[in-house]
Amino acid sequence: MIITVVDHYPKIPNPPREPKLRKAIHAYDQGKITKEELEKIFDEVTKEVIEEQISAGVELITDGQIRWEDGQSYIAKKLDGIEIGGLFRYFDNNTYYRQPIIKDEIRWREPIILNDWKKAQEWAGNIPVKAVLTGPYTLARLSRDEYYKDLEKLTKAYAKALIEEVKLLEENKVKYLQFNEPSIQYYPEDFDLLLEIYKEIRKYFSGKLATYTYFHTVLPLKDRIKDLPIDIFGIDFVSRKENFEILKDFPKNMALGYGIVDARNTKLETPDQIAQLIKQALNYIEDENLYINPSAGLEYLPRERAYEKLVNLAKGVNLVRGEKK
Amino acid sequence: MLVVFPNQITLLKQETNTQKVKFPTLLYELELKATEEVIKMQEEIGVDILVHGEMERGDMATYFAENLEGFTISGLVRSYGNRYYKKPIVIGKIKRTKPITVDMFKFAQSLTKKPVKGMLTGPYTIADWSFNEYYDNKRDLVLDLAEVINQEALDLEKAGALFVQIDEPAVPTHPEEIHIAKEAFQVSTRGLRSFIITHICYGDFRPIWKEIINFPVHQFDLEFTNNADKLYPLIESVGFPPDKYIAVGVIDVHTHRIESVDEIKQRIREALKHFRPEQVFIDPDCGLKTRTWEEAKAKMENMVKAVNEIREELIKQGYPSEITIKLEL
Repeated sequence: MIITVVDHYPKIPNPPREPKLRKAIHAYDQGKITKEELEKIFDEVTKEVIEEQISAGVELITDGQIRWEDGQSYIAKKLDGIEIGGLFRYFDNNTYYRQPIIKDEIRWREPIILNDWKKAQEWAGNIPVKAVLTGPYTLARLSRDEYYKDLEKLTKAYAKALIEEVKLLEENKVKYLQFNEPSIQYYPEDFDLLLEIYKEIRKYFSGKLATYTYFHTVLPLKDRIKDLPIDIFGIDFVSRKENFEILKDFPKNMALGYGIVDARNTKLETPDQIAQLIKQALNYIEDENLYINPSAGLEYLPRERAYEKLVNLAKGVNLVRGEKK
Repeated sequence: MLVVFPNQITLLKQETNTQKVKFPTLLYELELKATEEVIKMQEEIGVDILVHGEMERGDMATYFAENLEGFTISGLVRSYGNRYYKKPIVIGKIKRTKPITVDMFKFAQSLTKKPVKGMLTGPYTIADWSFNEYYDNKRDLVLDLAEVINQEALDLEKAGALFVQIDEPAVPTHPEEIHIAKEAFQVSTRGLRSFIITHICYGDFRPIWKEIINFPVHQFDLEFTNNADKLYPLIESVGFPPDKYIAVGVIDVHTHRIESVDEIKQRIREALKHFRPEQVFIDPDCGLKTRTWEEAKAKMENMVKAVNEIREELIKQGYPSEITIKLEL
């Protein structure tokens, strides 16, 4: 078992702690601080959230995606051929993202997350940091396509561009690479397309490759997941209870990202409740094939509650570990 | 008609909220003053059915939660970019202990002879946009909120509201829960005798259109500027009840750009291909809170000009210049 998180972490704390990133971005927007000063704050806050994750007991962390406004525009801004458009609701959340508008052929221009990952790994020391990207299929689904006018072409164009990033991550010895693909749950009929792009991505990455889903049901994908050439498949067991049905048939050839702590509700799970859910999974899945994590990224919660949730998650895992010894 | 005017004093409010309000009277006076300005501005522009501008509200769900028993308010969560809000947390059984929106409605209505809309957030949306630490299932939470919104709507009517708007932007996000939203809407509107409006935005209506159009309302207020490519095909394929009214959003509230009168007239003409003129109300896509007052005013002025020009054309073609609205549902 490995204790991990899905992707983002709340960017600002609540009083009495100071919301310094919010203030810094506001000051930068008003021209009161320089880009360098803002970057310094981004780094400081990234260090803080790395420390928080580690102190909570997370064993495979992220950089918290502190620089990301949302899962789409942070990537799209660094690719050629894309403009950033209006605000759209992110799935069923009261959270919004800026829509990428595809105006021309998509091309990789500059490192997207490589430098963020390098810095985060340096600050995290011997705790591994996973590199996280939004997957090509989800990027395509959440974009407005004024160029390819074809979902398959657009998805493959995103994949081709992101593979340039994957190559860099591989060169820099990234051990864990995760792509988020929540959109596939809403269009299970596109699974062949998903398969095709992950077969391609797999060629360029030798470490642990993960695909994470969240917010919805995975049951329509149940018999297909095993075909994905990946090491870890993440599922949200909170938003849809019926996803527990997948446990008994979960593929033996990969690990499960077991999303059991509610990333979208403040109600705090107890370590006992978490331990029970882990034991339920251990009936079907080998210990070494379980990554225990929240149901989604943690930015839907106030920072302090996100931390408490991680603390209890780690306590729950350790209860089970203790009993096993 | 318009929904929400930009909230000039948001910043001040947030600060006072976090620093334990020392001058509530001052804040309240500022809210009243801003409301006066919003009413005056709408009258000058020539809007027919006004809103009070929601100067007293921070977030459309949180404002109600702050004034109800059973809620507490969380720390900050991000909605997009650098914008954060305090999300409500349900920690007990929800009850209304006093009217929430009535005083501000009365004040706004006292400033004008034109009708001012009573503005409420729907029970499904308040529930969906809150953390829930108390109720075992969402239906119970939504239905308790529906009772509260119904009490509030009845009080608004007693205070003289001819138009009651219940906004439900969260409804399209969970098509599988549409039956809960519908049941709650029926409870919220029980016994009402006013013109009932619902505004729903940012959504994909395709899976729920057939259900939504049978909600007990007189008017649907939808974002036809940002969502025209999805809404019109639905209206063409599934239809729209001929006895209901439609408020057609003709202003994009998320751009700084001021749409020209011709552009807006084009959007109105598109609407008139799908609805009879007497079914149609015209408004911006959504609340104008994210625009500056200058932008909002300029957008609204062009909108009213466009409406007046199209009205002239229609009257020349023989359409009556007044309509009578029947209120039974």
